[in-house]
Amino acid sequence: MTDTTVTSASPAPTPDQPVTRQKVWDAPVRLVHWLLVFLVTVSWWTAEEGEMQWHYWSGLTIVGLLVFRVYWGFAGPETARFSNFIKGPGAVVGYAGKLFKRDYRAAFGHNPLGALSVVAILLALIAQVGLGLFASDTDGLESGPLSPYVSYEFSKDAGDLHEAAWNILLILIGLHIAAIVFYLVVKRINLIGPMITGSRKAEAVEGSPSGIAPVPLWRFLIGVALAGAVVFLFVWLPTTR
Amino acid sequence: MKIKLFAATAVLALGLAACGGETPAPETPVAEAPAAETPAAEPAPVATASIGETPADPVAFMKERHEKYEDIGKNFKVLLDNSKLGTPDLAAVSAAATKVNDYAKEMGTWFPPGTGPEAGKTEAKANIWTERADFDVKLVNLQTEAAKLVTAAGTDAAAFKAQFGPTGGTCKACHDKFREEDKDK
Repeated sequence: MTDTTVTSASPAPTPDQPVTRQKVWDAPVRLVHWLLVFLVTVSWWTAEEGEMQWHYWSGLTIVGLLVFRVYWGFAGPETARFSNFIKGPGAVVGYAGKLFKRDYRAAFGHNPLGALSVVAILLALIAQVGLGLFASDTDGLESGPLSPYVSYEFSKDAGDLHEAAWNILLILIGLHIAAIVFYLVVKRINLIGPMITGSRKAEAVEGSPSGIAPVPLWRFLIGVALAGAVVFLFVWLPTTR
Repeated sequence: MKIKLFAATAVLALGLAACGGETPAPETPVAEAPAAETPAAEPAPVATASIGETPADPVAFMKERHEKYEDIGKNFKVLLDNSKLGTPDLAAVSAAATKVNDYAKEMGTWFPPGTGPEAGKTEAKANIWTERADFDVKLVNLQTEAAKLVTAAGTDAAAFKAQFGPTGGTCKACHDKFREEDKDK
């Protein structure tokens, strides 16, 4: 506590004053994150076990989460916004260079390198559910909600790609976990806690010490409605062709 | 409490799965299966009529077999797509069900000796030939349910939708035991 390094923007804490906590992740971002962890696991397990009705609902729920997350990337608080964390190659290289410097400070939200991982996982998930929507098995016994709109051959190929693309997701998830372990072990920075509680000690961090500002509830509700509407569309479409 | 419930459910599910996988062979004699299930108007399906001789060109034979199964899949997708609709196209459903039924009737001749994994690339597992009796039981089940599907498709949408699952189930029952899983698993 006494040898705390604080950002230049924050007032230096006096010895008897506790270090304040920086709010990094809002509740929707955390909820989407952990629901994705859960539902991607469910989707994998149900596919392995041939529980395709559960797989269908698990996948459709992921569709809703992704719709919400993409929307939230434009409407959410600053650490949720794409414009805030997607940086050019220069920033990525610059961040990687700073990583082992003594005056390294944890990024506020996604760092430029980690942002690549976020974008890659989001795109891979979007591709994965996109293929799943059109997929069917080779027997024509199970299919995604948009399969009735495409031929048997197209649907079967989408199903094969859906299965193969899972390996890409596994690699990305592996890298994501490896990076978290790296920060925990090498950098002594716990990234898991803030993703659960939403905040962390405001010491040796970038950004304002108080962190993200609250977002009005109506913006969140619009996102929920949008996600629900898209899921409903996919439930309804195959019944009406 | 929740964990106990989960464990109980898991054990129950495993138990059911184990039963489901093992019962049909010993308990359902080939001759009796169709008699109980088939409507009076339908002739009793005969699966074991002709297992057939090893074909002159097994690879070509297996390729053709694969294409016939793909065509069944294609027709089944028509049935699946229609099963989700509020008002299925019963003409299309009837045509597809008839096609599946025709294939089912001749399927007993599709697995002559020498057309298994030892002969070339195929998803047909070797146990088709070592456990032929159970294979034939499952085939008779398909023939029974495929014939019912044709009848149901000629009846109405509700009958078709009710019969779609049971017919598809006979495909799956056989594939689970006698077809190779995807190569990447």
